Amino acid sequence: MSSTARLQPRAEMRGYRLAVIAALVLFVMTPVGLIIYQSFLDAPFFDKTSRFSLEAYDYVVTDPEFWSAFGTTAIFAFGMVAVAVPLGALLAFLLTRTDLAGRRWLEPIVLVPMFLSSIVLAFGYSVAVGPSGFVSLWLKETLGLRLWSIYSLGGMILIGGLSHVPNVYLYVSSAMRSLPSDLEEAARASGASIWRVSLDVTLPMVLPSLIFAAALNLLLGFETFGIPLVLGDPSGIVVLTTYIYKVNGIFGTPTYHVMAVVAVSLILVTLPLVYVQRLLLRNARRYAAVGGKGARAAPLRLGASGQLIAWGLIGLWLTVSVLMPIGGISVRAFVNAWGEGVRLSDHLTVSHFAQLMETPSLFRGILNTLALAVIGGAFAVAIYLMIGLAGHRNKGPSGALLDYMVLLPRALPGIIIGLAFFWVFLFVPFLTPLRPTLVSLFVAYLIVGLSYGLRIIQATLLQVAPELEEAARTSGASMARSWRDVVVPIIRPGLVGAWSLIMIVFLREYATGIYLMGVGTEVMGTLMVSLLTSGAMDQIAALAFLSIIFTAAGLGLALRLGARIHD
Amino acid sequence: MTDLRVSGVEKWLGGNHILRGASFEASRGSITALLGASGSGKTTLLRCIAGLEQPELGRIDIGGTCVLNGEEGLALPPEKRNIGLVFQSYALWPHRTVFDNVAYGLTLRGITGRDAELRVFGILQKLGLSHLAERYPDQLSGGQQQRVAICRALVYQPRVLLMDEPLSNLDAKLREDARYWIRQLILELGICAIMVTHDQSEALAMADHILLLENGVIVQSGTPMEIYSQPESFYAADFLGTNNVLLGKLAEGAAIGGDDWQLRGVRRGQVTGGLGESARAVVRTERIRIVDGPGDNHLEMQLDACLYLGSHWEYRLTRGGLAIKAHGDQPLPPGPVWCAIAPESVWIFG
Amino acid sequence: MTSRRSFVAGSLAATAAFSTSRFAFAQSLPAGYPADYAALIAKAKSEGRVAIYTSTDESQGQPLVEAFKQTYGIGVDYNGLGTTDVYNRVISEGAAGQMGADIAWTSSMDLQMVLAQKGLLETYVSPEAPNLPAASLYKNIVYGTSIEPVAMLYNKNLLKPEWVPKTRAELVKLLQEHGKELKGKIASFDPEKSGIGFLLAQTDLASTSSFWDLAKAFGAAEGKVYGASGAMREKVVSGEQWLAFNVIGSYALQWQRESPVVGVSFASDYTAAFQRVASVTKGAPHPAAGRLFLDFMLSERGQSLLASKGVPPLRMGYKGPLDADEMNKLTGGNMKIIPVDEKLANNMAPRFRADFFQQWKKAMRGEG
Ligand SMILES: Nc1ncnc2c1ncn2[C@@H]1O[C@H](COP(=O)(O)OP(=O)(O)O)[C@@H](O)[C@H]1O
Ligand SMILES: [Mg+2]
Repeated sequence: MSSTARLQPRAEMRGYRLAVIAALVLFVMTPVGLIIYQSFLDAPFFDKTSRFSLEAYDYVVTDPEFWSAFGTTAIFAFGMVAVAVPLGALLAFLLTRTDLAGRRWLEPIVLVPMFLSSIVLAFGYSVAVGPSGFVSLWLKETLGLRLWSIYSLGGMILIGGLSHVPNVYLYVSSAMRSLPSDLEEAARASGASIWRVSLDVTLPMVLPSLIFAAALNLLLGFETFGIPLVLGDPSGIVVLTTYIYKVNGIFGTPTYHVMAVVAVSLILVTLPLVYVQRLLLRNARRYAAVGGKGARAAPLRLGASGQLIAWGLIGLWLTVSVLMPIGGISVRAFVNAWGEGVRLSDHLTVSHFAQLMETPSLFRGILNTLALAVIGGAFAVAIYLMIGLAGHRNKGPSGALLDYMVLLPRALPGIIIGLAFFWVFLFVPFLTPLRPTLVSLFVAYLIVGLSYGLRIIQATLLQVAPELEEAARTSGASMARSWRDVVVPIIRPGLVGAWSLIMIVFLREYATGIYLMGVGTEVMGTLMVSLLTSGAMDQIAALAFLSIIFTAAGLGLALRLGARIHD
Repeated sequence: MTDLRVSGVEKWLGGNHILRGASFEASRGSITALLGASGSGKTTLLRCIAGLEQPELGRIDIGGTCVLNGEEGLALPPEKRNIGLVFQSYALWPHRTVFDNVAYGLTLRGITGRDAELRVFGILQKLGLSHLAERYPDQLSGGQQQRVAICRALVYQPRVLLMDEPLSNLDAKLREDARYWIRQLILELGICAIMVTHDQSEALAMADHILLLENGVIVQSGTPMEIYSQPESFYAADFLGTNNVLLGKLAEGAAIGGDDWQLRGVRRGQVTGGLGESARAVVRTERIRIVDGPGDNHLEMQLDACLYLGSHWEYRLTRGGLAIKAHGDQPLPPGPVWCAIAPESVWIFG
Repeated sequence: MTSRRSFVAGSLAATAAFSTSRFAFAQSLPAGYPADYAALIAKAKSEGRVAIYTSTDESQGQPLVEAFKQTYGIGVDYNGLGTTDVYNRVISEGAAGQMGADIAWTSSMDLQMVLAQKGLLETYVSPEAPNLPAASLYKNIVYGTSIEPVAMLYNKNLLKPEWVPKTRAELVKLLQEHGKELKGKIASFDPEKSGIGFLLAQTDLASTSSFWDLAKAFGAAEGKVYGASGAMREKVVSGEQWLAFNVIGSYALQWQRESPVVGVSFASDYTAAFQRVASVTKGAPHPAAGRLFLDFMLSERGQSLLASKGVPPLRMGYKGPLDADEMNKLTGGNMKIIPVDEKLANNMAPRFRADFFQQWKKAMRGEG
C-alpha cells in the first residue's frame, strides 16, 4: 500500500440518485420539519404574531390529560402486542410448520384483517358485539351470556390485537419458511411433543422476526386512530392520536402548536422503534442472503386431535376478527335501526346506498377513492420504483440516508402527515392551486404509503440476480439502460402485484385526509370520520360496506396477480 | 499484440485485502486461465477487468486503451470497456428470446435490422443454435444456455472475452466436449480470452497460459507444461496433479527424511530452511513405481490395500507415520514392497 | 323511511314548480330588495359557483342547494364539516389568503363570533335583514338562519315510561337517583369535540343553577359523550344508550317519525335553543354568489326549504311546519334562545375554556 491516491468507488447514476434522494428528503422532511418548527411556536406558524416559545411544550407536559393519554396509548400498544404476537406466531407455526388441513387456502384468508381499515373494523364491532350488537343480543338470549364492554380499554386492546395478528403472521411465517426442518425433526425423533418442539426449537430460531413484529406492532399501536376514535372516545378513553384530534376543541382556536408538540412526542417514541426495525431488517437481509436455499420443510404431523384444536383456534379467531366486523357492517348497511327490541327484518332498506348516490360529496368520495387507489396507486408504484432504483445496489452513505427517509414517515400517524401537507399546500405559493385537487391527497398518501410501498418494491428488485444487470453492463449498456431493458421488464409482474397492494392501502386510508380533504377531494375513509362528527351513521355504514367490497376486489386482484404480501 | 494489460491491481472488499497487486498480459488468439483455489480472488480479478468491481489501485489497458488508472483516478464503466463476459450462471435475460439476448449488444452499438440479424444468426449457426433463436432461456438445456451466453458475449466482437467458470454448470460429459470446442472457437476467431477456473484439468487442457492465484497474488504463470512440471512453490506443486505430500526434515545433500526413512530430491522454490529443519516434499503419484527390490532412492514400504479405479490401480502404502499413494496397472497382494522415486521427482520445499 | 322518501319527492316537486316561475323572480325583485340587486345577480352568475363550509348535514341542506342552483344556474360546492373544522378552515385559509369558502354556515355561534372578531367575515347588509329578529343579527356580519331547541331522545323500549324526564329538573333528579341503573346508558354532547356541545354547556351553565349537579350525576352514571346528535341517535335506537340529552331537537323529531323505538321529550321548564348562523367570508372567491346565497337562505322560500328538511326557520312572519308557534308549543314556551351576540366570543378565551374543561373532566370522573 503506497502513498498513491486510492480510487474512490465509481459513483454511477450519481445525478439521478442524488436528485431522487433530494426530492425524497424534501417531501419527507417538509412535513416533519414543519411539525417540529410549529411545536416551538406559541401560535399557528402562519399567524403573524407567533413567536418562538416553549409554551406548547410547557402546556403539554403539565397537562394531566396528555399524560393520561400517553399512558393509555402505551397500555394499548403493549397490550396489542401481547395479544397479537403470540397469536400471530402460533398461526405462523400452524400454517408453515405443520400439516394443518387446508393451510394452502387458509393463508390468504388469515391476512384479511390487515386490509380492513381500523375505522371500518371498529364500526363493525360496535354493531356486532357492542352492548346492543346482534351477536351480543343473541348470546344474551340463547346462553344468557354477557360480553364485557368493547367500549373499554380491554375491549380496544383485544380488538386491536386480534386485527394485528396478520402483521405478526407475515414476518414470523416468512422466517419459519426459511428454517430447515431437520432440527425440528431431530427434536421430534427424540420424543418431544409438537408443542414442545415449537417452544424449544422453532421459537428461539425465529426470535428476531418476533422482535421485529413486536416492534412494528408497538409502532402501529402508538399510531392507532380508528379504534380509539370509535370505541374509546365516547367513554373518555383518549390516546395520543385522539388527543391530537380533540385538542383544537379544547382551546377553541387552532392549537396547531399543541398538536405539533404531541406529534413530536409520538415521534420520540416511534423513532427508536423504527431504528430497531432497521437494524433487524438489515440483519434479516444478511440472513436471507446466506440461507434460504431450498430448506425444504417437512411438515410436523398434528394428529387428529391436534388438527381439531388448531382448526378450532383459527376458526374462532377468524370468526371474531373477520366474520363479526364484516357481518356487523353488512347488517348495518342494510337496516335503518338495530339493537334491543328491534327486528332487523322490519328495517331492511337499501336507502343508505341511494343516499350515497344522491349526495354529491359522498358520491364524489367514492369516485375519488377509486381514482386515488387505482390511478394514484399506479403512479405511486412508478414513483416508488424510481426511489427503489435510486437505492438499488447503492451501498454508499446516500443509500443509508434513503433508507431512513423511507422509514421516517412510518414514525408519524397519517393524521399528522395529512395536517402537515395541508399546511404545505395552503402556504407554499406555487402549490396552492393543487390543494383543492386530488394531487394534494395523492402526495400525502404517497408519503404515508412510502415505507410499505418501498419494501414491496425493494423485495421485488432484490429478486433480480445481479448478474442479469451486470450482463447488460458488460454487453455495453449504461446503468440507466440496464434498468430500462433488464431490471424493469423482469420485475414487471412484481410491479403489477405491488400496484394491487398499494391500491388496497390507498383504499382503506382514512386518517390522512382528515385535515387535507376538501370539496372535490372527498375520500371514503375520511368521509366516514367526518360523518362521524355529524353522526350520519347510515351513510357511514354504507360507505364502510362499499369499502369492504372494494378491498375484497382489490385483494382478489392482488392474489390473482400473484402479489407477495408484505407487512 | 497485447490486448489486455493488467498491472498492480489491488482490491479491498469488506475490509479484506482481496487482490494484492495482480499483473499480467494477454494477447489475441490465446486463452489465459486464472487458476486457483476457491476464494483465491479469481472472480474478483475478472470482475475488476470487466469494470464490475473497482480496484483501489492499479492500471488496466484493454486494446491499447487505458480503462483503469489509479494514479489518474480514471475508471471506465463496464459498458465502455469493449469486453464480453460469460457468467458462471450464464445470466441470460429470462424475458428475452435467444435471438434478443444475443442481439442486445448489437442494438446498443447501433447495429439493427438486417445487419444485426445476419450477425446474430452467423454466430448462432457457428454454435449450432440457430434453430433455437425464438426460444426463451428457460426452454433451453444447460449446455444450450452456455452456448447462448458465449454467443451473446462474442457477437459484437469485443477486444477481450472474459469467462467465469464457463464449464462449471455443465455435466461431466458436456464439459469435456466444451473444453475442446471453446478452445477451437477462440483460436479460430482469434480472440483474447481470459477464463477463470478452479479445475486444473480444465486450465491445462484449454489454456495457452495459466496464471496461478493464491490469496490474491499471482504466484506463478506460464504455459500449462511449465506450470505442471516446474512448480515454483509448494502451493503450485500441490495444487496441480494428484500428489503425495511428505513431511520431514531437511537432510544432507538435498534430501528429506523422517524417523526411519530418507529420500533424495531437488530443492525447489525459495530455499529458506537449513539442515534439520522441517520441510515438505511433493511427489506426483504417477512418478512412483513399485519395483522388485532395493536400489537408489528406493524405499521399502508396506502395501496395505489396492483400489481398483478402472483405468488403473491405486496402491496405499505406509511406513511408520509415512503414507503414500502410487499407481500401477495390476493388482498386488498386501505385504512389503519397494517404491522407486527418481530424485528429480521429489520436490523439496522448505 | 316513507317520510324521508316523501320529503325528497316533495322537494323535487317544489323545485320543479319553482323552475317554471324563475323568470318572474329574476325580473321582479321581492319587496325590500334594492333596485341594483339585478346587478348582484348578474355578477354572481358570472362567478358561476358558490362554496359553502357548513356543519349542516348535506341531506338537510340539499333542497336549499338544489333550488338555488335551479334559480340562478350557479353551482354549489357544499362542504359538510364539523363545527370546529368550519372554523379551523376559515382561520387557516384566511391566514394564507386562500379563502376557499364564500359562506360559513355553522351551528357553533361562538366560533362564528370569533371569526367575526378576527375580521375573517364580511359585512354585508342583506335585504332580508329586516325580516330577522334582532337576536339573530350581529352587525350585518353574522346572520341567524334557524332556531334549534334541544331535546331529550330516549329509547321507548328500554327507558321506563315513568323515568322519561319532562323537565330539566326531572332529568337532574333521574340521574342523581337512578344513576346506578342507568350506568353507561346516558349520552350527551361532548363539549371538547363539538363546538355546539360546548355552546350548549355554556348556555346551561349560564341559564340554570343545576349544571354542575347534572354534569356530576352524568359523570357518576358513566355517561358517554358524542360529537354529534346522529351518533347519539344511533346509540339510542340500538339500545346501547337509553337516554340522550341536549340532542338537536329538529333532528330528534325527524328520528321519532322514522323509528318506532325513539321517543322525544322537550324540557318544559328550560329548553336551550341555538341558532345556525351564516356569514359571507372576507376574501371570498365568489363574493357576489356568496351574498346571493345568504339572501336566498333567509328568504321566505329558502326558509321553507330548510323547514322541509326539519330545520326550524326563524324568519319573522314564517308560517308552516316548525314555525314559531309549533316550536313554542313543543318546548312549553320556555325556550331560551341564545342570541347572536358578541359576548359569545368570551366562550373562546383560553383561560376560561381550560378552567371549564378541568371542572368538566372532574365531573365526568364523578368527582365534585
Ligand atoms: N462483497 C464481498 N465482500 C467481502 N469479501 C468478499 C466479497 N466478495 C468476495 N469476497 C471475498 O473475496 C475473496 C475472493 O473471492 P472470489 O474472487 O469470488 O474468489 P474465487 O472466484 O477465486 O473463488 C473471497 O475470500 C471472498 O470471501
Ligand atoms: Mg469464483
